[in-house]
Amino acid sequence: MFAYLVRRVGQAMAVVIGVSIIVFFLMHLLPGGERALLGARATPVQVHAFVVANGLNHPIWVQYVDYMGQLLHGNLGYSYHYNESVNSLLAANIPKSALLVGVSVVIALLIALPLGVIQAVRRNSPVDYVFTGASFVGYSMPVFWLGIVLIGWFALDLHWFPAEAPQGAGVGAAFSQPRAMVLPVATLVVVNVALFSRYVRSAALDNLVQDYIRTARAKGIPERVVLLRHMLRNSLIPVVTILGLSMPFIFSGALIVESVFNYPGMGLLFWNAAQIHDYPILVGGTLVVSTAAVVGSLLADLAYAALDPRVRYV
Amino acid sequence: MTEAQRVECTSLLRVDGLKTEIRQRHATIRAIDGVSFSVAQGETVGLVGESGSGKTMTGLSIIGLLPPGGRVVGGRILFLGQDLARLPARAMRAVRGSGIGVVFQDPMTSLNPCMTIGDQIVEPIRAHRESDRKAARRRALELLDLVGVPQAKERLKDYPHQLSGGLRQRVMIAIALSCDPKLLIADEPTTALDVTIQSEILELLGRLKAALSMSMLLITHDLGVIAGHADRVIVMYAGRIVEEANASELFAQTRHPYTGALLASIPEVDEGTDRVLYSIPGVPPDLSQDRQGCAFAPRCDRATGRCEVDDPQLEGCADHSAACFNPLTTEEGSGRSPMHAVAVEPRRPPPSSADKRAPLLVVDHVVKTYPVTTGVLRRRIGAVNAVSDVSFTMTQGETLGLVGESGCGKTTLGKMIVALERPDAGSIVFDGIDLTKQSNRATRTMRRNFQLIFQDPYSSLDPRMRVGPALREPMVINAIGNGVSRDRRITELLGDVGLSKEAVRYYPHEFSGGQRQRIGFARALTLSPRLIVADEPVSALDVSIRSQLLNLIKRLQEAHELTYLVISHDLSVVRYLADRIGVMYLGKLVEIGTCEQVYGRPAHPYTAGLLAAVPIPDPARERAKRRIPVNGELPSARNPPSGCRFRTRCPRAQERCTVEEPVLQAVSGTDHQAACHFPLVATDVGKSAQRDGSRAFGSDGA
Repeated sequence: MFAYLVRRVGQAMAVVIGVSIIVFFLMHLLPGGERALLGARATPVQVHAFVVANGLNHPIWVQYVDYMGQLLHGNLGYSYHYNESVNSLLAANIPKSALLVGVSVVIALLIALPLGVIQAVRRNSPVDYVFTGASFVGYSMPVFWLGIVLIGWFALDLHWFPAEAPQGAGVGAAFSQPRAMVLPVATLVVVNVALFSRYVRSAALDNLVQDYIRTARAKGIPERVVLLRHMLRNSLIPVVTILGLSMPFIFSGALIVESVFNYPGMGLLFWNAAQIHDYPILVGGTLVVSTAAVVGSLLADLAYAALDPRVRYV
Repeated sequence: MTEAQRVECTSLLRVDGLKTEIRQRHATIRAIDGVSFSVAQGETVGLVGESGSGKTMTGLSIIGLLPPGGRVVGGRILFLGQDLARLPARAMRAVRGSGIGVVFQDPMTSLNPCMTIGDQIVEPIRAHRESDRKAARRRALELLDLVGVPQAKERLKDYPHQLSGGLRQRVMIAIALSCDPKLLIADEPTTALDVTIQSEILELLGRLKAALSMSMLLITHDLGVIAGHADRVIVMYAGRIVEEANASELFAQTRHPYTGALLASIPEVDEGTDRVLYSIPGVPPDLSQDRQGCAFAPRCDRATGRCEVDDPQLEGCADHSAACFNPLTTEEGSGRSPMHAVAVEPRRPPPSSADKRAPLLVVDHVVKTYPVTTGVLRRRIGAVNAVSDVSFTMTQGETLGLVGESGCGKTTLGKMIVALERPDAGSIVFDGIDLTKQSNRATRTMRRNFQLIFQDPYSSLDPRMRVGPALREPMVINAIGNGVSRDRRITELLGDVGLSKEAVRYYPHEFSGGQRQRIGFARALTLSPRLIVADEPVSALDVSIRSQLLNLIKRLQEAHELTYLVISHDLSVVRYLADRIGVMYLGKLVEIGTCEQVYGRPAHPYTAGLLAAVPIPDPARERAKRRIPVNGELPSARNPPSGCRFRTRCPRAQERCTVEEPVLQAVSGTDHQAACHFPLVATDVGKSAQRDGSRAFGSDGA
């Protein structure tokens, strides 16, 4: 197990370094970066000064080595546009996105688990058809449209919740205005429930026909126990996979929801940075998110072993 | 007291006119269509039939665990005065696991992989006995001891995957017995197990049944298992009972033609190979269609006009009844000879061993290991010895059977012979060319000479490829012929394997299992191979279909001048097909010789034990035969025992076996070799006294 972990962490580091190379070089291939950043009226002298000041006149591999050297010291660079270190920008924005996405994923999971199980147990019944239909509607609905519809109903018509997410800087604002979080979270929950419940349903269906479920029933234990004790744990494996895959979104945020509800998080930060070619933010953000993706899949693999004693990593 | 009353009061379970249907999307299958029988206190009733006969559905109807869409639509199931068919769910739950225990077929999948053995045994105890946790655990421990699980205390904390198949089935039995059921339903309890483990489990079931004074409903397709362990036998066909009799009576005085045909279709382990096996023509009926007349009539060689119109009912006395208008006469039904008479055809003589042609295949000191690694850098800490140092030769046109239990390396050896795996050492010379020294490209062109036939006809054909393209593909890959000649070849081959040429237009799922296996044969033959490695070619098929295929395999050999390597765990199948037999144990070839030598005068104690463990479909012989225990479990192939690998399970093992590894050496005649320091056959022992393996062992006990 320890050996496996060491090997996997080694692999993860290799992946992240690979990602950093690709991202770093691709970003610098984009034409007209300085121009876009400094504006059309910048004089050539000003542009040159900027290029020299930021080391952009060096060969690209030298820039990369410099960047990675800084990274080893925990320094992700300095944003040209915000005039602020990328570290502090991420520190301000990641918690907000993590809160939004994390809370949504947890709520979605709590709804999707029982929902999927009920659908599987009542397979091909009206209950199953209704929820299956609802899932497809939920999943195929464009997120921005869903967000706008929710605003239309619950904010503009019914005045139950504010149309805008909490505006304060930092994550504390979200806690001070919990009502304002309801609609953005709900939007993400609808989409995620639709997705998760499909996975749970199909995993549960696979497990319900297994021989050991029949054995459990032949023991004469109540059906509720059969489902909870025997089926559910065996059905969690695909759920763990999607949870692992959701990890990067906790760090990258949900761009569309963030922009519909004007909730400044990682999604919006990233979007704005891309518009103005703010390389340090883009590279730094991508690195953080890709690390999250790698860590997420590692955690998922470890969770498999915890769930299923047959899985042993050597 | 009338007969009916007597049955009423002594029977524990009485099934009366049971009808069960399974609703599917487009059809309703009448899985059980009016079945009545009873199980008396302390009795073992055997329920025999092929797949689709309704035997498993009968068991599942009794405990109310029918698959989705399944429903009991008529009849009564009386158990201890309650009609189980009409019991509300909660009351039914109280019966399940408490009044009736069930053992299912596959111990690999029947236990929850995520729960410890202990928790799984404790579960029904706590559900029915409401004893506290500690008492339930003590009871679980007792049960594990009872079913013969060694070191029961440590096992409680194990997960199912840490146990072998045999031990898992013991755990299943412990679960079934946990609340002292009155009735045990054992649904194919040993089908998934190796033959030596099978006999241990069957014995255990019989012993426990007597000790706990239970009744048992033993459901199986295997007439040999039934012969040895059932008091009364019920034969089912197409959802109905066709014959019911005391076990001895059924085998000695068969009345229903179906039962007779089934018995005649089984190749026997102690029987010569010079006859064509009887096979029942056709396939079982589609149960979603309305039936008229006797369901077996279309496949029955005794059917008359009446059989197609009227429905035969069970007739006869309480001891023996059959549902047939033209039952076998006393003479026809006794023994199995009359059925043979119908079918006997002369068979080609095996290529004589005197015929010393250049061998087609020489397997020489072949070794294959799979590494076991550990640590960050995957340091190699050991190896699984799949095949260690195996040598044999095969001549053109002969059939070599390779037998052994799961994990003995027979499949790995087969894969190396068709160049799907490369040996770590040794050579495999096919027709003068050493396969192990060929480049990948050269191997590819060699491949057309040797083809593989797989066990499972359901997964070995691409479900999205019609039969035509599937058969054409090997010829296209090897650039053989053109469009016209390929199609001609396909038509020819389909004819050879007994399928119509229309088959090319259909997908594999539109065929039955037997037909699919025929397609598998046609596919293997497209390239006109010289050697065919058939890995468990008929294991997935029902008895009546199996005999059709076995005969086909023999016929194709003559028509296409094939050399066969037949790999199987089933000793009777191998005996029927093969000229020579090799017995493998833990990666070693322990005995090789002609069929007569190996089956008639087994030299290696393992061979003798294997042979003795095969159930014979004849109660008199099955019960009389002496048991030779092959004790305990198969040792790990990672750390095989020193010296002779079989010594840990061998009743004859001595000091020398631990130290010195026996090599294959001639025992009787030059062709018969065994790797044993203390072989069973003394050269001077008469042939007649050694007819079956058990006696050979008994008379020579050291």
